[in-house]
Amino acid sequence: MTLLKEVAAELIGMFFGDARVTLALLLLIAVSAALIELSGLDPLVGGTVLALGCPVLLIANVRRQKHPIAAAIRSAA
Amino acid sequence: MLIWSTAAPAIGAAFLASVVEVVEAFTIVLAAATLRGWRPAALGTGAALAVLASAVLLLGPLLNQVPLHALQFAIGVLLLLMGMSWLRKACLRSAGVIPLHDEDAIFAAETAQLDGAARRHDARLDWIAGMTALKGVLLEGLEVVFIVIAVGAGGGLLLPASIGALLACALVLVVGMFVHRPLSLVPENTLKFGVGVMLSAFGVFWTGEGLGLDWPGQDLALLLFVAIFLGAGLAGTAIARSAAMEVAR
Repeated sequence: MTLLKEVAAELIGMFFGDARVTLALLLLIAVSAALIELSGLDPLVGGTVLALGCPVLLIANVRRQKHPIAAAIRSAA
Repeated sequence: MLIWSTAAPAIGAAFLASVVEVVEAFTIVLAAATLRGWRPAALGTGAALAVLASAVLLLGPLLNQVPLHALQFAIGVLLLLMGMSWLRKACLRSAGVIPLHDEDAIFAAETAQLDGAARRHDARLDWIAGMTALKGVLLEGLEVVFIVIAVGAGGGLLLPASIGALLACALVLVVGMFVHRPLSLVPENTLKFGVGVMLSAFGVFWTGEGLGLDWPGQDLALLLFVAIFLGAGLAGTAIARSAAMEVAR
């Protein structure tokens, strides 16, 4: 049972490492899908939103991370 | 016919991702073998490989039943989630925000854990060493299996992706047998960064294809996505690192 739990945890961890990134990505994919399937715009608009939105999400998430040294200094101050 | 603009990234992604995972699995198997000899470690490894091979043999035919666009979309979304996660962690590790993966430390921890278990249950030590090897290979192998299926199944590239993964296994095994210690000199974070870039690029490509989008330039669009994610990864690393330098000043 422990092994099965660890396998399940590994599978979940593979795809859902950071909750904020996961949710933002799923939302971005939903928006892109809506633009492609429902909006009546050129489908490439949805594709471009997806292709450029992912890197923007990545940079925004990395920027939000607190550096451990900075966090330690702030908590000590 | 094999289209190299698609096949090369698929083989490359499967090879690099497999190197990372097999190095991690090798460290655990080596710890088990160091403590109790190669027999239980090899038995555990063999059992894990058999489970993984069974999973591929069971899942492979099922994938053929799924409509192509639905398969491409599902695989694209999963690849994006996985690729972005790898890329994010690689950026943060590279900037020193989270610690690097240390194979020597993992080897020491695994050996100490097995050593502790040895003192408590000496008669069952072969079993514990075998299970440790099995668990390590199974957990790391799951990611290899998914990546091979994901980068291969959407475009009929399962064979090239499998070859990439098998080459990685062979390379790590040969080098590992030669040096007989954890492969801590492998630039794991750089490899993870590269794999994250490629998986994310494949993710965008397959998600779009799954939604019925025809990317301009077709397969060549993959190269553009690789460039975009590479740039984003480098920028992300620089941004995270600049925060550290500000603190140092």
